[in-house]
Amino acid sequence: MGNHGDIRPTLIEQYRRRAAQVTGVAVAIGLLALPALGLAQDAPTSAATAYRDIPQLGGSRNLIWVIAQLHLLLAGFVLGVPIFAWLCEIVGWKTGEKRYDKLAKEFTKLLTSSYATTALFGGILLFMLIGFYPKLMAYLSDIFFPSFVVYCGLFLIETATLYLYWYGWDAMQGTKKPLHLFLGFLLNVFAFFIMIVPNSWATFQASPVVIAEGSDFARAWAATWNPTWWPVNIHRLIANVVLGGYICGAYAGIRYLSAQTAEERDHYDWMGYVGNFIGVFGLLPLPFAGYWLMREIYQYNQQMGITLMGGFLSWLFILQAMLIGVLFLGSNYYFWLGITHRIPGSEIKYRKPIMTMLVILLLCLGVWMTPHSLVASLEEARKMGGTHHPLLGVFGVMSAKMTVANLMILVTFMSFIMYWRAGKEETAGWAKVAKALMSAVLVIAGIVVIVLGVWGYFVPAIIRINYFSVAQVLIVLFVMLTITPLTALLLRSARTTTEMVWGRMPPRAGYALVLNAVMVILLMTLMGYARSSSRVHWHIYGVMRDSSQYAFSPALGYAAAFMSLNTFLFCMLVAFIFWVATMGDKAKGKDPIEEKKQVPVGAYPAMAGGSQTLDKKH
Amino acid sequence: MKGGVLVRSIILVVGIYIFLKFVLPLVTAPLPASLIFLYLTLTLSGILIFATLSGESTEAFWGPIFRFLRGDGQEGAMKLARLAVLLLFPLLVGWQTYNSTAPSDQPPGENRTIHPAPPGEFVGLSNPFQPTPENIAYGKGRYFSLCFPCHGNFDGKGPAAKGFNPPPANFSDPTTIAMLQESYLFWRIKKGGVGLSIEGMPWKSAMPRWEHELSDEDIWKIIMGEYDGAHQKPRTWE
Amino acid sequence: MSEVAFLQLIGLSVVGLGIAVLLFIKARFARVVGFVAIVLGLFSITALSVPQMASLPPVEEKFDVANIKTASDMAAIGQKIFFSKGQCALCHSIGPSESARCPDLKGIGAKLTREFMYESLTQPQAYIYLDFRHESQPKEYPARMPYINKNPIGLSKNEILSVIAFLQQMSGEPITVSPSEITQASDTPPAQAKPAQTAAVVPIHASGLN
Repeated sequence: MGNHGDIRPTLIEQYRRRAAQVTGVAVAIGLLALPALGLAQDAPTSAATAYRDIPQLGGSRNLIWVIAQLHLLLAGFVLGVPIFAWLCEIVGWKTGEKRYDKLAKEFTKLLTSSYATTALFGGILLFMLIGFYPKLMAYLSDIFFPSFVVYCGLFLIETATLYLYWYGWDAMQGTKKPLHLFLGFLLNVFAFFIMIVPNSWATFQASPVVIAEGSDFARAWAATWNPTWWPVNIHRLIANVVLGGYICGAYAGIRYLSAQTAEERDHYDWMGYVGNFIGVFGLLPLPFAGYWLMREIYQYNQQMGITLMGGFLSWLFILQAMLIGVLFLGSNYYFWLGITHRIPGSEIKYRKPIMTMLVILLLCLGVWMTPHSLVASLEEARKMGGTHHPLLGVFGVMSAKMTVANLMILVTFMSFIMYWRAGKEETAGWAKVAKALMSAVLVIAGIVVIVLGVWGYFVPAIIRINYFSVAQVLIVLFVMLTITPLTALLLRSARTTTEMVWGRMPPRAGYALVLNAVMVILLMTLMGYARSSSRVHWHIYGVMRDSSQYAFSPALGYAAAFMSLNTFLFCMLVAFIFWVATMGDKAKGKDPIEEKKQVPVGAYPAMAGGSQTLDKKH
Repeated sequence: MKGGVLVRSIILVVGIYIFLKFVLPLVTAPLPASLIFLYLTLTLSGILIFATLSGESTEAFWGPIFRFLRGDGQEGAMKLARLAVLLLFPLLVGWQTYNSTAPSDQPPGENRTIHPAPPGEFVGLSNPFQPTPENIAYGKGRYFSLCFPCHGNFDGKGPAAKGFNPPPANFSDPTTIAMLQESYLFWRIKKGGVGLSIEGMPWKSAMPRWEHELSDEDIWKIIMGEYDGAHQKPRTWE
Repeated sequence: MSEVAFLQLIGLSVVGLGIAVLLFIKARFARVVGFVAIVLGLFSITALSVPQMASLPPVEEKFDVANIKTASDMAAIGQKIFFSKGQCALCHSIGPSESARCPDLKGIGAKLTREFMYESLTQPQAYIYLDFRHESQPKEYPARMPYINKNPIGLSKNEILSVIAFLQQMSGEPITVSPSEITQASDTPPAQAKPAQTAAVVPIHASGLN
């Protein structure tokens, strides 16, 4: 195999050879850091351990990697599901549709067991951290002790709220429903705080601030309010919604594949749709949040920004582009499958628009996945004059990537609008005008985004970053915010020409849902590696050095193996939780959708993608 | 039209391959194989997505393939073709595997990071000199006496540039110095190729380490002259 | 077999296993697991097909009393401390900077005496005016500058002296801190001596082109 494969083994050998030395250094560092242990400075110096390890089990770093990633994924799931369930519950309450309420309840049922599993992994992680990294943990506890207390308190309230929310579900139907919804709201608020408190610890490691004298609380607060804290909070919050949605979709996909009866097929087809919808809904603003985070990182420390985007992690972002590309393609594919299968006879009509959107998506992906420095053999590099292609090299920079990301979001949004409008005929007098307006807005927005993208090459970077990129994002948001209400208005008076039929999707739709979920999880593991590796050889960037033998960041291939392993373990854990939670249903022999037939028809929101209501009105 | 979708798909893939491999190099440098592979994969996934949208199109796409592979009611040339495919495909896979694992005298494809992260000492510095015409003219003067042999007239095509692989940076390209802060250039000029971090492959850069020949002041002024001469603006924050 | 080849082999086996499951097993859940295995395997193989590059930590600098011979040795160590453990560069820059939060330290060694610098580092509050805006007792304005000799930065006296040596050298001043001031019974154990990296003062003409 290629020489490049030998990098890591030699590296490890090199470190083994230096093992004794490293231990010595570790001890030295431990002594140097004694003041950081929270002891008085004149405390007697005893040999403090900086690191512990279990090499037999693959080493402390790999163990932490797996456990921390699983904990984080579970936590994302546990925080995403309540948002998802709560949204569904509100929709169910507003429209009076029982199936939304059932869906919300079905997922809340998972919460209690997954909550416990998350806490379990959190506990394991904590013990491991204390065991493996005593010096780092002492330093962090010294700074963050007050927020540890807050964290524990939050956990108590969150648990109590969760129990009330879940066990009170049936008791609080009817007139007490608003109270239950309020509980759901509280659940999400506490969950949000539970997320942002540990975020502050992790972001402090990436972007530490100097902590002056002050009370314990003031110091913890100063450290909490570090430059990347809020960007990460928002990014994670949205990502959790996406995770919750797509996992719901994947669950529905699997159940759909193994459904026995027509009712089950109907129900899980519909559930898959809702999951995919919420996933896409969260996915659309996610790149903006990511962009903000990246910007803050650059501003905090140019060095870290370059390490991520142009330095040794730059290939990681090509992999990310690939995963996001598959996710976009998968989500759109599912929408398109929905159009062609759920709306009989629509295939011919929508072939052309689908083809157009597909081609745009693929072109965008092609640009996005073109790296700045290419992988080329010696010969090829010679012909190109370096690893930079003279023509396609321009695709490698931020201006191009931002543009195509925005275009992909626009296309995905249009897919959804198309799906929403499929099988209906607008009857309003102003429908023609509205449709023309919508197309005009869309086309102009697309053109402006491209023009700004191209123009971005000819202006100073700061103008591009501060004005052009922001303008692109605002344009896309503007398109979404104008077309969505307009379509809703238009469809209020529309006539359904073809009824949407559930339960007709081919098996590949189920697999597409599973694929999307796997992509989201993989993305989370990938970006977890990016976040952690961007600190390179620091525990706390620029402040506390990682002097263990695991201070190096592994190459992408090795990391990808771990990401895959973590993704797989997480999928199995979630499958187990779903299985355990639904075991009772089967035992009772109760069809979870027995009430489906008496679904009262209310105003179907966009989320239902449904048209039955509209038909009933006529 | 039986097999129409399939035939069109094959034509599309082959057409794109020919375009990328043979037509595009007529106007620009040839694409590396990795990039062609990427674009073909995208094309193929597009075709698969479009072909499997509805039951009918799926059948129209996969049907002929499956029927051909199963060999239902085939005779004569078709039968032979099927046998040939079934025999040749594993051989092709074997050949590919052999090719990718066999020892070769070609160096592995390299991934040199052109702009690795600078060391902390050089982060966030800004040019202490004002871009006055005198300063710029001074910087340009030093540039033409020291940098011109390789970097040429800000286009990376100096008289000595031909001897280097990778070639000297082209400052007029908007993806080089326009993407970087002045402090980054300061680092690269001062510490040279040997100052690069490992992902920048210091052994591949011929950039001299100028700190012993040039004062900081000269370096800052050269940077100023460089940006002015290349008609680029340094990257700034706020 | 190289590690990449080994991981590629695992990835390929996982994909193969997934395909086998999809071909021969009817149970739905197993099929989905097979599908997930194929996806993950393909992802790993893709990640393995790009050039592999690990990020190695740079050689660790140690504050080793035994190796300090000259004042410029101290300055070299001080520079490392300035940009790492001392956290100075989190706020201060050397030379004008857009991202710095606190004063530029360029030429600071020429402006301040070493005693004043030592005091600024260890008693940042010392010369800050009190806040008289309130009726009651005047309060202290909290200094943004932390106590460098206390938690959480906690530099030792030796380290602070080295940083001062660095600041003086960087300002083009003679270094007034002498290595003899370093307390031998310091907090660094005389562990295995590794030559602290010295800022190699290469004769101007000897550098050559690399």
